Amino acid sequence: MRANLDLYLALVRAQVNAQLQYRTSFLLMAASQFVVTFTDFLMVLLLFTQFPSIAGWTLPEVAFLYGLGGIAFGVSDLVCGGFDGLSKMIRLGTFDRVLTRPVGTFAQVLASDVQIRRLGRIAQGVTVFALAVSWLDVTWSLDKLAVLALSLAGGAVIFTSIWVIGAAITFWTVQTSEVTNVFTYGGEALVSYPMPIYAEGIRWFFTYVVPLIFVSYLPALYILERPDPLGLPPFLQLCSPVVAVLFLLVARLCWAFGVRHYQGTGS
Amino acid sequence: MRLYWELARCGYRRTAIYRTAAISGAITNTFFGFLRAYMFIALYEARGEVGGYTLADTLAFTFITQGMAALIGLWGWWPIAESVQDGSVASDLSRPYDYQFAWMAQDYGRALYQFVARSAPPFVVGMVAFGITLPGDPLIWLALVPTVILSVGVSYGWRFCLNLSTFWWTDHRGTAGIAMMIGMLFSGFLVPIAMWPDGLREIGYLSPFAAMVAIPIDVFLGKLSGTDVLAALALQAFWLVALLALGRLVLSAALHKLVVQGG
Repeated sequence: MRANLDLYLALVRAQVNAQLQYRTSFLLMAASQFVVTFTDFLMVLLLFTQFPSIAGWTLPEVAFLYGLGGIAFGVSDLVCGGFDGLSKMIRLGTFDRVLTRPVGTFAQVLASDVQIRRLGRIAQGVTVFALAVSWLDVTWSLDKLAVLALSLAGGAVIFTSIWVIGAAITFWTVQTSEVTNVFTYGGEALVSYPMPIYAEGIRWFFTYVVPLIFVSYLPALYILERPDPLGLPPFLQLCSPVVAVLFLLVARLCWAFGVRHYQGTGS
Repeated sequence: MRLYWELARCGYRRTAIYRTAAISGAITNTFFGFLRAYMFIALYEARGEVGGYTLADTLAFTFITQGMAALIGLWGWWPIAESVQDGSVASDLSRPYDYQFAWMAQDYGRALYQFVARSAPPFVVGMVAFGITLPGDPLIWLALVPTVILSVGVSYGWRFCLNLSTFWWTDHRGTAGIAMMIGMLFSGFLVPIAMWPDGLREIGYLSPFAAMVAIPIDVFLGKLSGTDVLAALALQAFWLVALLALGRLVLSAALHKLVVQGG
């Protein structure tokens, strides 16, 4: 485990150094990621100039959800680029090389593509979250800070697990399926708004199958002390990290199953 | 002319090969349509009408935009950039056709396939799920054909210029991100231009990006009447010509820069 972690960090460091060689290009891309994702939030601002609230949630509260989801997704996007690129590894046959090395496939793919320009996306989430907190009157306490930290980590793990499952499917389909985008980019959009606005089937799916409800909605209820019109048991609001770990285990199983079924493309 | 017709057919067939990509793309577009639809339904609980758009209008808007995104290549279309990167641009340029119109013909072929595979399905699903009604006025249908054709053309004019930027900046990812942001923001893709604050709205409608998304949608929704439709079509035609002309300027500047090595 320790050796794996050291190796992972060494690989990531090498990539970061390589990317920093082209400093202007890096800065431009990080800035463009920030601006691009921030535009998305500008649209939310624009909407709220016309509409007072959504399902009883005001702009600052929606920004709170948006920020939580944005940070969690941004972290997973930074870490998981390798899984997104698995399709290419399979097509080019470089995944064969991964299999011959004496380190786990999971750690190797995880470390294979860490793009630090994606920090721009995280910066956007942090900015929106900071705005939300400054607009809201949250009475912070130790338990709320703990819920915040753990659900941010949990959210990142949940999104990461989705990337991993999506990549595991690539072992059969070879091409990355755009349907994975429904759960990654679509998931990020989904968690930016309060859950009650969605139809029951969608809510059920994103509670019990892909547990995105734990990324922002449930922790936000706890921190903002809002009642839950959905009537879910309140202890679930504290469960993000537990659910995240369980979901990651499922993702690891899918991954192991996929790797076992891997056949080269013959190129 | 026959050559361009063949090129258009080529563009159609080349896109049609990636059938699974089209199907999964359509699923993704439909899913995002649902998310946005629920968002608007919840927002409209507090208001009846915004900027002349009722909830029914906005739901139609949502599924039309989801369908149009692939049509106008809103999320990226970089085949010319890639041909610059791999060098095949040199042989394309030496062929006996007009470079800009040749790509345009292929792009119309691509767009036709996208229309069938990626524009129609999300709209039909949205229509059934949210009870969106089709326009009853035959004049609207008459205007829809040219407005959609023009919107693809205007977007091509813009994408052509963007692609040529790879002659100067070899990596197009940075440009792609910023271009996508500009497109999504100013075309009224995410929030209808009609809902923008006063002052910004009038300017918003004049931009070439409005000519790609906002104008066809307002035609569909019947927001433009009589001569306004003609004016809107004229504005689209103006942007088509202007962007194609700009593309030619950029192309001639790029050709001065191009050095072909080897053969």
